[in-house]
Amino acid sequence: MERIMSFADFLEDLDSLFDYRRVQPIPILDEKLSEDGIVDGDREVSQVTNDDEDWLLPPPKDSSESPKQIDVDSTIKELRLRKQELKAFPTKQCLFQPKRESDSVQAALESGAEEPSKPHHERAKIVISIQDKDEIKQYRVYKDEKFERLFKRYADKAKLQIESLVFTFDGDKINLTATPDSLGMDDEDIIEVLAKKN
Amino acid sequence: MSGGIARGRLAEERKSWRKNHPHGFVAKPETQPDGTVNLMVWHCTIPGKLGTDWEGGYFPLTLNFSEDYPSKPPKCKFPQGFFHPNVYPSGTVCLSILNEDSGWRPAITVKQILVGIQDLLDQPNPADPAQTEGYHLFIQDAAEYKKRVRQQAKQYPPLV
Repeated sequence: MERIMSFADFLEDLDSLFDYRRVQPIPILDEKLSEDGIVDGDREVSQVTNDDEDWLLPPPKDSSESPKQIDVDSTIKELRLRKQELKAFPTKQCLFQPKRESDSVQAALESGAEEPSKPHHERAKIVISIQDKDEIKQYRVYKDEKFERLFKRYADKAKLQIESLVFTFDGDKINLTATPDSLGMDDEDIIEVLAKKN
Repeated sequence: MSGGIARGRLAEERKSWRKNHPHGFVAKPETQPDGTVNLMVWHCTIPGKLGTDWEGGYFPLTLNFSEDYPSKPPKCKFPQGFFHPNVYPSGTVCLSILNEDSGWRPAITVKQILVGIQDLLDQPNPADPAQTEGYHLFIQDAAEYKKRVRQQAKQYPPLV
């Protein structure tokens, strides 16, 4: 009984001697980081301590960092913080991902009006059919391209003057400066070509 | 409900027309003053057949669809006073495939209607007259009839 008591006393003595928590409370920030799984950072710190002062027993794990950090010069401290920050980044990203997702969804919703303008930048194409009295041919053109270019291509192929031809869509003459977009054309819509009569 | 069926069918008719139709023909639903499209009324153009007295004419035709389409055919009208044995003075075309009690079938497409009317122009049906002038000239005075047809074709030149 006495022996146990003394052992307990001994433990108590040891405790008072080595428990650094009593000397310096653990910074809350560090605890949080280690909870987030930044074990590598902690290990590194303890390794450094071992290398520098290997004659000393490794101090209890959770308190090893705090007293050492006091001695560490400010640049290293900063670097270490940076490292921890960098390492914590992926974890933090994970934590924040749901928020980011909802952010991007919201952003997408808000920029809903901008979405349709995207194809314009990519210059969407359309298939247009040109029909004369004998046959129908298909051409792929840009939706925002003036018809002038397509009609010239057609006239050159047919060995005709563009001035001698009339191009119509739904019975209306097509202006050379019009585009498939400006006429609201869909894929495979038909343009009819007629020869002008003098 | 029938109105929904009519409009659904007409939307399909229009879609298919845009991708494929005979040369020189026009068929498009009416655009109202406020810019909306009325699928129940179509403004069409029928070209006179090449090699006939009708050649060179681009004849305007209006199709009026009812809510009962396609169970019932559309009413097809040329301008009032159009010269043809089978066109009423009002301009309404008299043709078996356009008659609910005769040749109409719901499967007949807008394209078939327009091509059918183009055929009728040069091939009148004397058994079913709809106007006196056109009918009488057709059976009594072929030369005068021909002259009148050519004259009318000139009255409807291409719009472009």
